[in-house]
Amino acid sequence: MIDFFAALLTPQLFEATVRLATPVTFAALAAVVCERSGVTNIAMEGVMLVGAFFAAWVGWISGNPWLGLLGGIAASALFSLLFAWAVVSLHINHVVTGAIMNILAFGLTRYLMMVFYGRQGTSEAVAKTLHHYKFAIPLLSDIPYVGPAFFNQTPLVYLSIISVFAWAWIFKRTRLGLSLIASGEHPMALETLGRSVYRVRYLAILISGVLCGFAGAFLSIENSNSFTEGMTNGRGFIALAANIAGGWRPVGVFIASLFFGFVDALQMRVQSLGIVKIPSEIFIVFPYVATIVAIAGLVRKSRPPAAVGKDFNIEGDGE
Amino acid sequence: MPKSDESPLVLETRGITKRFDHIIANNNISIKLRKGEIIAVLGENGAGKSTLMNILFGLYKPTSGSILIDGLPVSFDSPRDAIAKGLGMVHQHFMLVPTLTVTQNIVLGKEPVRLGHVLYKRARRSVVELSKRYGLTVNPDARLEDLSVGLQQRVEILKALYRNARVLILDEPTAVLTPGEVEELFAVLRNLAADGTSIIIITHKLEEVKALSDRVYILRRGELVGECRTASASAAELANFMVGRDVVLAVERPAPRPKPEPIFSLESLFVHSSRGLPALKGVDLAVGRGEILGIAGVEGNGQKELCEVIAGLITPDSGKILFKGEDVSRWSVRRRMDAGMGYVPQDRRVSGLVLPFSVEENLALGRSDRPPLSRHGFMKFAALRAQALQLMENYDIRTSGPEARVSTLSGGNQQKIILAREFSRNPDFLLISQPTRGLDVGAIEYVYRRILELKERGVAILLISMELEELFALADRIAVLHGGQVVFESPTATTNEAQIGEYMIRGRYERSIS
Amino acid sequence: MSVSAPRRIRMVLKALSLILAVPGVLLYLASYFWGAWLLLCAIALYAADRFLAVGSAVFGSEARKLLSRAIVPVAGIGSALLIGAVIMAITGYNPISSYGALFYGGLVRNWHISVLNATPLIFTGLAIAFAFQGGFFNIGAEGQYYIGVIAATWMGLGSTLPGIIAIPAIFAVAAIAGAALNAIPIILKVKTGAHEVVTTMMFAYVVRTLSPMFIRAHGGDPALTSHPYTTDLISESVWLPMFKDFLPGANYRLHIGVLLAIGAAFLVRFILMKTDLGYKIRAVGHNPVAAMTQGISVARITAASLFISGSLAAIAGATQVLGLDHRMFQDLNAGYGWNGISIALLARNNPIGIIFTSLLWGVLDAGGQYMARTTQTPNAIIEIVKGIILFLMLAEVIYKRAGSVFGRWAGRFKTAARKGAGA
Repeated sequence: MIDFFAALLTPQLFEATVRLATPVTFAALAAVVCERSGVTNIAMEGVMLVGAFFAAWVGWISGNPWLGLLGGIAASALFSLLFAWAVVSLHINHVVTGAIMNILAFGLTRYLMMVFYGRQGTSEAVAKTLHHYKFAIPLLSDIPYVGPAFFNQTPLVYLSIISVFAWAWIFKRTRLGLSLIASGEHPMALETLGRSVYRVRYLAILISGVLCGFAGAFLSIENSNSFTEGMTNGRGFIALAANIAGGWRPVGVFIASLFFGFVDALQMRVQSLGIVKIPSEIFIVFPYVATIVAIAGLVRKSRPPAAVGKDFNIEGDGE
Repeated sequence: MPKSDESPLVLETRGITKRFDHIIANNNISIKLRKGEIIAVLGENGAGKSTLMNILFGLYKPTSGSILIDGLPVSFDSPRDAIAKGLGMVHQHFMLVPTLTVTQNIVLGKEPVRLGHVLYKRARRSVVELSKRYGLTVNPDARLEDLSVGLQQRVEILKALYRNARVLILDEPTAVLTPGEVEELFAVLRNLAADGTSIIIITHKLEEVKALSDRVYILRRGELVGECRTASASAAELANFMVGRDVVLAVERPAPRPKPEPIFSLESLFVHSSRGLPALKGVDLAVGRGEILGIAGVEGNGQKELCEVIAGLITPDSGKILFKGEDVSRWSVRRRMDAGMGYVPQDRRVSGLVLPFSVEENLALGRSDRPPLSRHGFMKFAALRAQALQLMENYDIRTSGPEARVSTLSGGNQQKIILAREFSRNPDFLLISQPTRGLDVGAIEYVYRRILELKERGVAILLISMELEELFALADRIAVLHGGQVVFESPTATTNEAQIGEYMIRGRYERSIS
Repeated sequence: MSVSAPRRIRMVLKALSLILAVPGVLLYLASYFWGAWLLLCAIALYAADRFLAVGSAVFGSEARKLLSRAIVPVAGIGSALLIGAVIMAITGYNPISSYGALFYGGLVRNWHISVLNATPLIFTGLAIAFAFQGGFFNIGAEGQYYIGVIAATWMGLGSTLPGIIAIPAIFAVAAIAGAALNAIPIILKVKTGAHEVVTTMMFAYVVRTLSPMFIRAHGGDPALTSHPYTTDLISESVWLPMFKDFLPGANYRLHIGVLLAIGAAFLVRFILMKTDLGYKIRAVGHNPVAAMTQGISVARITAASLFISGSLAAIAGATQVLGLDHRMFQDLNAGYGWNGISIALLARNNPIGIIFTSLLWGVLDAGGQYMARTTQTPNAIIEIVKGIILFLMLAEVIYKRAGSVFGRWAGRFKTAARKGAGA
């Protein structure tokens, strides 16, 4: 039994934990930004998918994964603007719009697969992935367990960790953060102080699009080398759960994402060890079960932003 | 001390008209405001006061007409423009973010920043300075949600002053204040005016107009029906103007029964709020048949929890709710209703009505699952219709028909639907919270009459209200709720507004030595 | 008992209308297109009855109301097809021949496939709509569909009972399984307020991920059969009856599931509009606080709404197994849950409307496949068109704005015309 755990809890496991947490972290940060501004965003699944597709495509035709990353981000951002237009300007229900955006994203990527690659399923592989640029941070990476987990990673992984702390700071100390919080707690207050809630929410959704772009690009051209239809596999929803479990706070969300990363890494590790003769599906299902457990255990601990998911309409509120 | 007409004009509107889909909320309204002047805009609910103010503040765009500041025409696309021109507004429902601190709330939208980074130290310093200069003391680091309503209003005023407001607009500023707090607020406003700030207060309370303003504009149904110097008009005249007819504000209150037989009582009731804090700390009350017990108190002192625990929406931590001798504190809402308890909730749009439902469907709420409205789980629509027609007649509910959507009705008619539903159940005990909030005078009179009728029939009534006038008009006894406790109780006849007001603020009574 | 003459006429009209409508629907669904004449006659008779009942003025206004209600959907579908055409043209496909193939394939040539596609969609659409009416978003209907498939396959494998007993039993078990899958989301929703969007979705992923284990346990062998692998066939005794059994010209795959689905739509409508439970569900959906204050147990209604919703989605899966597939496929990637959301939204949660939106979706899918085969245009364009349809239908604001601009325009035109006439 002890051997089993020794084989399980290797430094590689922790490295994989942080790696696999990365897309969830990006997407969960996107959820935090959106929800703190008062927008429920279940479109992230689709936005990520679009980002993953375009990252792979631009990366493939240009041969440069960094251009691919930019392409993915740009596509995600543009796609999320459509969401913003629908929920902020047209005042359509957030959850409903999100569901439609997901349907649209699945269709769009499937169609473009045929147009760009002439086939279904999996795209052409990019010549070089972002995983290529893995580098260790001197000294820090030598710390046992923590070193390989956090300080011997790829640029996107570092960026996700930096983003977490950057957003914690933004919420605490900056004008943007203050506006986002006010827009999610009491939008009318913000509006009457001369700052446009529409603009703040557009910005929040745009930012979430960019973050989802990172998440999508990570899936297609960092963790893998091509785009596969439906490759986000519910991560947009897991991110939503991480956002709730993390109490709508960047650092909390990061810890929740690490937990999902750990579960994911654990299932892969146990599966590859082959010690236990159990069908692989049992393990693949871990993160989903973990999400339910996390939601069940943590949801009551924190308070969502007061105006989250509610439409804001200046003149509509009047007599 | 009224300002002379020679002071320069600060703000002027010329022929402001605002049309919503079918309603003309403001029709050709022209007002003038001079430097250092306090004017009042007086009108009933629905007279168009709030619309006018929202136009002045750039939230709504006028359909026609113009606004002039310092004699120059301006056009506001958003509150930002209005703020830039020196307008500040204190809304009736505060525009404050409860989870942020006082400082954050004040500087929001005009933060001192360097590279997007808020300089909180500097912000805090300006807030402290500002509050010293105007004598508006408030802790700059407190979270908004932890402050009393009076202090929150202070923050609202500071917010406007922080933006160098030259014109301060206050929308129903006293609606949520205790009499003492009102006095403080008036002192602050007089100081500001003396300092050169021009002030507009929007109100439907005549005493405030008399106490504070130099001039008064009277609105009725979206039109300006009068303007005069406050000193030159009597309260009765103003009231006449406002309502367009003579109002009899006093209701004839039947004498209390000598020894009402108690039917409903609370025994050392403890309840915590949804945030987990103690909200009711040992409340004892008793109401007898044919008696109205009024609960006075500043909002947020446990009224909400008191309503919810009596209605059965939350369960108490300890203590008893006795009704007809039985402890009902663990009973479901339904069981309480069946036993003869009724509840008219405070916020009719939130907890009283299903707005997209029709009148007849709303009247069926809570009794849809038994004859005559349904049989074996199947609804009987003919019975639904018959019940609605009858109640609509009995309670004077004016609609286009029983299938009209409730959301299209006026506040008065909406309230009548709730009263019809609750009263027609023939309850023995009724909890009524804020029954006249947002209603016009006619509807208020009607509601008072129906409540007193019920009392005559021997129903025990617990009436929660923020309006002392209402309590003194209706209640046989008045109890004051402060900090989750009943700090005072007295027959209405042997107390007065000043005494109740004192208890409402401080929780205790200090006989003033004069 | 004497019945007045107009009333007798109306009763006759009503009866005739019904007598014509039922075979009309049956025939049309079975690709006997002349059934449409029966349907048209039935509609005309119904209209005549209505006319006699309410008089010409009310009848006219009702007809106008019906027409104006149709404007938004028709305009939405039309503009979405137009945008789809633009996308096709930009990406190098011929929109005219593609759409020609789409509609020929979906409405005529492969109409039976459209009907087969629509059958589970009606059920999942109803499932979503039912939850929507109660204010819930059962986004995980896909998972409940899967559990329905699993339950039906499991019961159907080696069943020896006669169909008349076994089929209802299978539907019942599937319904219970679908409801059970929502049990934990319901508990979490009621106890902690956890949003059902996340929890039901997670259960959908759980069931989908685990389903290959079930297939392998019942005959599916990834090593032997080619991808996708399947379970063994279920007993023939539990297969749903086919249209061919009574209409020889019908396609041999067309089963009576679609009739069950249409029946379910009417039943759901009845529950929502005519029963106390439906009334309470709608009350909770619109305003849970008011409902609670009036003694309606919101927890109980939440549970009822999501249980029934789960059952309906599971019945969709069971119908598919018993009627069409007769086995379970690995990774069937059905998308019926997602499409159910679209269908419910499109029909504005109106159960009868769902029958039609499902057929529309079925036509688009069947036609899309035909189009892809005959014109090489990728059928994923259909998914995009569907998304755009939804988007445009929900963005009523666009039409209101367009309508008001048009209205002003028309008004100006009218006054100009009047002036012209006056002069």
